[in-house]
Amino acid sequence: MSVPILKQGDVLIASIQSALSDQDLIELREDFADKIGRFRARGVVIDVTALDVLDSFATRTLRGIAYVGRLRGATTVVVGIQPEVAFAMVQLGLALDGIETALDLEEGIAYLNRTARRSPGYVR
Amino acid sequence: MSDEIRVPIEREEDVVIARQKGRELAAATGFSMTDRTLIALAISEIARNIISYAHRGEVTICRVDDGLRVGVLIVAEDEGPGIADIELAMRDGYSTAKSLGVGLPGTKRIMDEFELTSVVGKGTTVRMKRWLR
Amino acid sequence: MAELLEQRESLALMHQMGINSGAIDRRKQIVGLTQADVARIATVRDLVLRRIDDYAAAFFQHLAKFEEARPLLQNPALLERAKRLKIEHLHGLVSGDYDTRYVEQRIELGLVYAAAGLDNRAFLGAFLSLIKHIGADIMQHADHSPIDAFEAFMSLQKVAFFDIGLIVDVLVAQRERVIRQQQEAIRELSTPVLQLRDRLLLLPIIGVIDTYRARLITENLLESIRANRARMVVMDITGVATIDSRVANHILQTVTAARLMGAKVIVTGISAPVAQSLVSLGIELGGLDTVNDLQGGIEFAERSLGYTVLQGQPIDAPLNGVS
Repeated sequence: MSVPILKQGDVLIASIQSALSDQDLIELREDFADKIGRFRARGVVIDVTALDVLDSFATRTLRGIAYVGRLRGATTVVVGIQPEVAFAMVQLGLALDGIETALDLEEGIAYLNRTARRSPGYVR
Repeated sequence: MSDEIRVPIEREEDVVIARQKGRELAAATGFSMTDRTLIALAISEIARNIISYAHRGEVTICRVDDGLRVGVLIVAEDEGPGIADIELAMRDGYSTAKSLGVGLPGTKRIMDEFELTSVVGKGTTVRMKRWLR
Repeated sequence: MAELLEQRESLALMHQMGINSGAIDRRKQIVGLTQADVARIATVRDLVLRRIDDYAAAFFQHLAKFEEARPLLQNPALLERAKRLKIEHLHGLVSGDYDTRYVEQRIELGLVYAAAGLDNRAFLGAFLSLIKHIGADIMQHADHSPIDAFEAFMSLQKVAFFDIGLIVDVLVAQRERVIRQQQEAIRELSTPVLQLRDRLLLLPIIGVIDTYRARLITENLLESIRANRARMVVMDITGVATIDSRVANHILQTVTAARLMGAKVIVTGISAPVAQSLVSLGIELGGLDTVNDLQGGIEFAERSLGYTVLQGQPIDAPLNGVS
């Protein structure tokens, strides 16, 4: 079960629909690595609204995706973490250090647009 | 004991099954949304440890009642290599190559009761409980 | 019908208090109640039953002397029930059967006293008076030797103490329940999240923050962030009673959780002494955005969201009502 990655301008978006297997998450990371390069994406939005739990493995994978993105010049934003999931993560001690977060898809893209305007090399 | 669910943990798909079952039982027991997520997370972490280290094991989830309160009991057992230095594994921030990392100390934090026994070469058992407030 | 509900309440309380047959046996053990006592009580049963109304009356007459019992005496419905249950009690006292049904009746009576807000001391005084009356009669009408009569009375006293244990436990349990409910209400009232502007929330925290309350505050805040699509939160802790390492930890957790939902939290109201004590406790507040005062925090949040506040000429316009 793979996750489709959509392109909107120079932003790549993936909506994780349900509990993914570890293999799916790894494939997602590789898929991102490939597409970020190919499409010269400057932003990545990963929507985890449908996930009812983010455990240490999922967190590590998201960090992995963000790292790969950063290496290729793209900013990653994770969106859609639900209140209970955020609470549970913090209680467990999981952190998404170095990854931006936003409320939802709309906010995530708005964030990328805001930061894009400020970054050098941005051409209107 | 009624309401006991056993989930064999052999593939990482089983981690998801175990935590879904845990979430269902927690809901049936009357836990809030937040607590259900915490319980699901705790199950996810220890089930993953089984896969990572022992490759095979079992998670048992059941409702408990001590006369005054109700709650859930989660037992994770495996016949893996065991943990040599338990104290080290339970220390916050400790992490091996496969990252026991946050798993154990964090899980202990979010459950009300947490008990880990391990014998090198024989296996590990984690027993944890969360009570309804 | 009403009786059925009352019975269910006493059964529920019994279950909650853990009073099963094992617990009842334990209570009997504690007062030293044995079969021998039951046999002795049987010898004075008829005597007690003859004057049952007088003894019940003595109980309530004693209560009437004290202000502390007024709530019960001035409540006709409860008083009526209490009197009926007291007669029932006295029957049971000499019945020789002190098991589940008997205990349930004690609990039921205890609930009536709790509902009337009867003071523990007033209850104990009245009960003592009642027992003294019974004792006096037993000694006066001692057919057998005075020693037998005395021993029969002492056996009865054991049951009396058994009863007192139950009634007092019920009164205490009920009082604790009320306190818990009040605490809950206070907690709910004291974690408001206010929307200051579009996307900007204000969370003033006042009072003591324990683990339970910290969790309530966090859950409330996260829900509000979602409902209001907030991007900024100003969390003011001026009113927080003590800020030790645990409280600081709670605050950090709340901030981190909010961040996971895309909201930035600005903490305001850390006074200089508090800041110093946190430093001396070695608490890392790096990564926490803090502003000294509430106004500064709100202004910072507004600017971050792109608001510019301009002050023009004041306008004296009525809102509602008459200006």
